[in-house]
Amino acid sequence: MYYLLPSKWRWVLLLAASYFFYGYWKVEFLSLIVFSTVLDYFLAQKIHSSQNQWARRIFLLCSIAGNLGVLFIFKYLVLFLPEVDPMMVNVAASESPIMGTIKHAIHFSIPVGISFYTFQTMSYTIDVFFKRINPEKHLGRFAVFVSFFPQLVAGPIERFSHLQPQLKSAAKFGYSNLQNAFRLMLYGFFLKMCIADNLSPISDLVFDDPGLYGSGATLTGVLAFGFQIYADFAGYSLIAQGAALALGIHLIDNFKTPYWSKNISEFWHRWHISLSTWFRDYLYIPLGGNRVKQWRWAINIMLVFTISGFWHGANWTFLIWGGIHGALFLFERYGEKIVPLRTNSNRFIQGSRILKTFLLVQLAWIFFRSRSTEKSLTILKNIFRGETAESLSIEPVVLLLFAIFFVSDVILYNKRFDRWIDKFQWPLRWSIYAVLIFCILAFAGHFNHPFIYFQF
Amino acid sequence: MSVRKQATIKIVIRLAALALILLVCNWTYTRYFWKSDLDKHAEMLLELLEIQDTSDVLYFGESSNFSYNPEKDSLQDRISDFISYHYPDLNFGTINSSAYHMGIYLPLVKQITSERVKTIIVTLNLRTFDQAAIHSELESALQKKACMYEPRPPLVNRALMSLKLYDHTPAIERSRKMWEEWTYDTLKSDSFSFPAPTIKRWCELTKFPDSNGVENIEKRQLADHYIKAYAFIIDEENPRLKDMDALAKVAHDKGINLVFNLLAENTEYADSLVGPNLVHLMRQNANFLIRRFRDPKVMVVNNLELVPGWDYTDQKWTTEHYSQYGRQIIAKNVAEQMQIFLGAEYFVAQDIK
Repeated sequence: MYYLLPSKWRWVLLLAASYFFYGYWKVEFLSLIVFSTVLDYFLAQKIHSSQNQWARRIFLLCSIAGNLGVLFIFKYLVLFLPEVDPMMVNVAASESPIMGTIKHAIHFSIPVGISFYTFQTMSYTIDVFFKRINPEKHLGRFAVFVSFFPQLVAGPIERFSHLQPQLKSAAKFGYSNLQNAFRLMLYGFFLKMCIADNLSPISDLVFDDPGLYGSGATLTGVLAFGFQIYADFAGYSLIAQGAALALGIHLIDNFKTPYWSKNISEFWHRWHISLSTWFRDYLYIPLGGNRVKQWRWAINIMLVFTISGFWHGANWTFLIWGGIHGALFLFERYGEKIVPLRTNSNRFIQGSRILKTFLLVQLAWIFFRSRSTEKSLTILKNIFRGETAESLSIEPVVLLLFAIFFVSDVILYNKRFDRWIDKFQWPLRWSIYAVLIFCILAFAGHFNHPFIYFQF
Repeated sequence: MSVRKQATIKIVIRLAALALILLVCNWTYTRYFWKSDLDKHAEMLLELLEIQDTSDVLYFGESSNFSYNPEKDSLQDRISDFISYHYPDLNFGTINSSAYHMGIYLPLVKQITSERVKTIIVTLNLRTFDQAAIHSELESALQKKACMYEPRPPLVNRALMSLKLYDHTPAIERSRKMWEEWTYDTLKSDSFSFPAPTIKRWCELTKFPDSNGVENIEKRQLADHYIKAYAFIIDEENPRLKDMDALAKVAHDKGINLVFNLLAENTEYADSLVGPNLVHLMRQNANFLIRRFRDPKVMVVNNLELVPGWDYTDQKWTTEHYSQYGRQIIAKNVAEQMQIFLGAEYFVAQDIK
């Protein structure tokens, strides 16, 4: 249908599809995305047309305050409110639907994708302010940029200059786009359904009751989460890229085999790339980047990492997680000044650096996944205690799936699946498709686990 | 050939290849992995497949069938066993699992393919029609099993289960709906006059003050529980009734006799706690079911008031768990009424103890 429509009307279909997609979960939360859209549309026009620098700053502040305000109310306010019995909120919802819905949202359900689309629209108004882009004159087309359904709920966070020209262009149907879209989505579903969903029960066991398990089991649970979140989020990003590519739209790569990074800095160039570049461009660089004094630079780094940690959720453990990454980043940078690392290190040293970074990232995930610092510290203690208590049993099928995933991650180092598989002849290509399809249909996890990043 | 035509041909070929892959995947899964998945997620289907070819009668039951009183019972035989003693020349197979209801039996019955099965007995209790049962927090887990029980290609069931294409409403949402229905749904009937307009109000009106006016909390809680369990009128919108209709149709299409075993409830205790209104309502609902399912090949066996109050293993709460006597008289009643279908095979079994 998309390709049959004249290009000037495609935005209507995309907008309708995107709003239907978002509203299908909870129609009342559509009002938030419409609010963000209308707010930033008009403020960007004002910023662009205003000659007065103070007025432009005020309009920009209004945009930032409006978007962060919505984010604060629906995501972070609960941190400062007392705990509420879910049933009492249900009672409130029955007596007053509007207030009940708001109470329910504040306490129990964050509007899906709110952290993503608010940041996406903020980047737009900030870019208009700095005159990097001209504002979009067409409200409908701007609304499509904000709500484009493949990347609406969990990114990648796109920039206006990258996405909008594609949304406006008269993209023709391309067979190779469709082919690559299928490949990306297939591999994405394999990562999410076969790897992430099968690892989640293992990590849940350990994180829900850390006191029960010994060192080996605890470490297994922690590693299981590390791969779960990677497969979950990278899988979603690939599915989003595939869905967009089917419409002729290229979204940015969000993951580039991050667990093969040699240091924390490289990790953040490979993990959730759209978020890390957002914080680099809209927080780190405006704070001065690395063009300030050393002490100020270190504070900037810690600030950016802790805020990006906090972006993930309304819990102090996310702050700690971000802070850990900031501290590790600084430690490595200062460490390199004391002991410079040779760029042509031998394979053993490279491998050690990869392993070191991997283990540090996994230990940091403990704070990301645990909902309390007490549980996080219990898990850390369990890992290093050396005791053998309750053990975990893992099904052979899960181990086999993980082995397939591990090998594919090695093979796909710095490659994308759709481009990598393209070089093979059709019998091998289709054999790989068949294996992935069979794994998805026969071995996908069956517990109730939504995409992890949907909660952000 | 135009580019569009070339692309169309490519797509058609690839879709055909995909269809072939799916067929091979389904065959591979069914051959090598299906049984272990059934064992993990849908054990009753595995049991049905194993016993149907050697059974003349299949009994679908839940905990009422196999619960017994360890202090009083000399026999721990199940209701289905006691029924089978009345038909010694017929093989009885039993599918038993706690908390199952009509909606879960339905896909299992659809899976009966054996020509040998001529009659099925399906247990039901009145409580299965109430809000607590319909919105039970167990329902999501049961619907997951029902997804695997459906008569579809096994790989399709496995995939649908992974994609959670079944009713997996969260427990909090279910309890919200239950609370709303108790609070706001109006109790109304042309044939019955309710003491209060809603269940919540009926519970509030039911009080147990002692001589000093102090409320007996335990009795009050039990009375609330009984009202919530039985205060409803079964109507066409009730999902359990729809399941019963669907089950009757499936049995009819397969040429199988269908017996609904309406289990006994502790009406004596209900009367003492809440009063004759509630018991009258229970009888009315039972009679509705008996009238509705009266067909040459379908019947409802009414055991509602058959078991005396002292026989229940749980003397207070609403469970359909009976001691030996209760299980035997229910079985005798079902067996006697089944003569309509299996008359020639009937045998008067030993006296009830």
